[in-house]
Amino acid sequence: MAIQIENVTKCFGRLRAVDGISLNVKRGELFAFLGPNGAGKTTTIKMMTGLLTPDAGTITICGHPMATDSQIAKSRIAFVPDQPFLYGKLTAREFMRFVGEMYGIDKSELPGRMQHYMDQLAVSGYADQLAEGYSHGMKQRVVLAAALLHEPDVLVVDEPMVGLDPRTARKVKDIFREWANAGRTVFMSTHTLEVAEAIADRIAIINHGRIVACGTLAQLKEKAAHEHRLEDIFLELTDPEDPPEMEETVLTS
Amino acid sequence: MTAIDAKTLVPATTRTEPTFWLLLRLKLTILRNRMRQLTDQTPLQLLMVLGFLATIWLGLYLIFDQVLRFIRQYEKEAIIALPYVFHLFFFSMTILLGFSTAVLVYGSLFAREEPAFLLTTPNKPRNIVAVMYVEALFFSSWSLILLGVPLMVAIGSVQGLPWHFYLTFIGAFLGFVPIPGAIGLVIALLVALYLPRVAKRSLMYAAGFLILVVLIIWARLWVISSTENITRQWVHELLGELSYVKSVLLPSAWVSKSIQMSIQDNSADAMFYLGMTILTGLCMSHWAISLVAYKLKPAFGRAHSAPTHTRNYTGWASRFVTAIAFFYLSRRMRAVILKDVRHFLRDPVQWSQLAILFGLLSLYLFYLPRSRPDGFTLQWQALICFMNFVAITLILSTFTSRFVFPMVSLEGKQIWLAGLWPLTRNQVMWAKFLYALTVTACAAIPVTYLSVRAVELSWAMGLAQLGATFGCCIGLCGLAIGMGARWPNYKEPTASRISSGLGGTINLIASVALVASNGTLFAFTCLYSLNERQLVGLEWHSATALAASIVISVSSGAFCMAIGIRKFRKEQF
Repeated sequence: MAIQIENVTKCFGRLRAVDGISLNVKRGELFAFLGPNGAGKTTTIKMMTGLLTPDAGTITICGHPMATDSQIAKSRIAFVPDQPFLYGKLTAREFMRFVGEMYGIDKSELPGRMQHYMDQLAVSGYADQLAEGYSHGMKQRVVLAAALLHEPDVLVVDEPMVGLDPRTARKVKDIFREWANAGRTVFMSTHTLEVAEAIADRIAIINHGRIVACGTLAQLKEKAAHEHRLEDIFLELTDPEDPPEMEETVLTS
Repeated sequence: MTAIDAKTLVPATTRTEPTFWLLLRLKLTILRNRMRQLTDQTPLQLLMVLGFLATIWLGLYLIFDQVLRFIRQYEKEAIIALPYVFHLFFFSMTILLGFSTAVLVYGSLFAREEPAFLLTTPNKPRNIVAVMYVEALFFSSWSLILLGVPLMVAIGSVQGLPWHFYLTFIGAFLGFVPIPGAIGLVIALLVALYLPRVAKRSLMYAAGFLILVVLIIWARLWVISSTENITRQWVHELLGELSYVKSVLLPSAWVSKSIQMSIQDNSADAMFYLGMTILTGLCMSHWAISLVAYKLKPAFGRAHSAPTHTRNYTGWASRFVTAIAFFYLSRRMRAVILKDVRHFLRDPVQWSQLAILFGLLSLYLFYLPRSRPDGFTLQWQALICFMNFVAITLILSTFTSRFVFPMVSLEGKQIWLAGLWPLTRNQVMWAKFLYALTVTACAAIPVTYLSVRAVELSWAMGLAQLGATFGCCIGLCGLAIGMGARWPNYKEPTASRISSGLGGTINLIASVALVASNGTLFAFTCLYSLNERQLVGLEWHSATALAASIVISVSSGAFCMAIGIRKFRKEQF
């Protein structure tokens, strides 16, 4: 398993942001994580990437528990947040070199890899300019290229398509798909249901900190007993007026 | 190479563990790029900053030099007083550095996106904390360097000390800085762990506490100073009140002992105290870094995810105050001002600095008449009247440069909204000017009135000072708003960074120049009045100087407003 989440709970004061969720994501899987605002997606991702510690439960990345073996677990994972962070006074090339050295990529190998991912994500044109002048989309591309640089086993992305132009968005979708086909794992949190519908192998929907559905698109449709689009299923499962019973909708994990 | 090739993409192994030095190199690269950008794009600004620094250093050196020579005239008192200068200096530096390091470390470890990025990498928390700590020490200790280097050179030249004194002094400085730094690091951790989401308020409480301590000390000193004339007994009592700064338990006492011993050419004792200081600094840093690294993740989690103390704002008070203070404006212009008023009042960092500046000045003015129970001579009156005017207007210029200048830029990415408002752009600019003028005048006029009362000025001279101060308010606000619109920075959301840019620097220089010219003219006003041997009324010389001061202020403000309005009208949002 690439990602194992077992009975994880996280509370902020009285608020139970994540409420005993369990998820298993296999190697070579492109997994979409959906949910309305405040459902617990970002908290789950922050716990997966080691930014937050769960109050209960365990998270394991490629067999390494994040709680006890975090340094190795973190070396196997890459995280692309929804608000991309870059040092304003560094160029994209300097930032990527820093990330490469951080993850211990061989010096002889580093320039080639950097150039490859910069070309792939069309970063090369502005790679030597300071990041403070980049647009959101440009930053997103640099951060994604830097995340791919150490070729992590698990790529966690939060809202990957925000701010990207259609051509780059298409490129990113292709990369994710190819990445998963190559035996790696992509864990993607998104509000863009069309993207999840188009490329995800499996989809989980979280609401009020609990997983209300998890399975392939076909399984979700089958269980929802209609052939509607993912959007309809999502709206039905996260309806605040009529919350579904969890046991009925959790399909596989 | 294909996009993703399963054969070539073998999992990257961590061959070398990311280290502290890697992060330090990153910070140095950022610093190098920043400097390169400054020299390439704004060399004038860099030159001006360096020029200012050199002027301040020279000025401080001359002050220290004169003070030390003055103390040396009274040999016995000098033996008592000189150690106190060091003890007080390093004691106050402990507080200042501890507080500033805490603020900087909190900003870099718990309140920025950078630690979120670094914590997802395989770098050890210890390395992250260590590099942020070093960075904070670097940026917080500039005040020590700014004050310490001229002090060191002044002592060296006045006492005619050998070269090894300078080495001891530098060693003492470097060894001392980590002690308050480590305290600041732990304070930042405690704020993140136990006061998350109220970091700004914590800052306020800490500042409030410091002011309270200063007030208590002040009150105790006041009791002594108001009952005694300046005699040897008075000096002894006054210094006795400060004896706690010499406590052997305070590291600040060790570092000052080290310097004193070095001055007395007692190398053995100087090395002993220096060693104690350096070892304590290193030990405290080690423990503080270990503790913060151990608690970094939970503290970061709490700082970023603790439930926010939500509060409903009705805003009736700000609406009420704005409606009264700006009754003469149209409802739409008042709406623009109300928005700015609410922004200002709901940001404690903004209004607290104004309150602290003018609060301390008011205390000084309240204290002033008690320091000379027999009343003022005519010369004292004139001198203090002039000094008060300069002090108030200098503080005003600091305030307008720091808070008023960024007002246009702070509209930020929403600046296009200003283009959609049913107001002309002239009206938007004037609304901002009137708002700034009202706030500055409300702070400056009562303080000036206090100063007039404190010096027991005649009504005519009092009115003259009030008029000159109000004129200065107009000039400084016009300068700040006008230049803020002429050199805006809509991308930067932080007021302090906006004011430290090129436009801010030019505005600061122009403001200081205006204060200098007004100060000179006001000095003439006082001088001519004094020559008349009365200082009760204004004869034509002093009235002319006063009128010139007001005309220069108002015309400078109007000129800059015209430039700013012109630029703002042409702005393509």
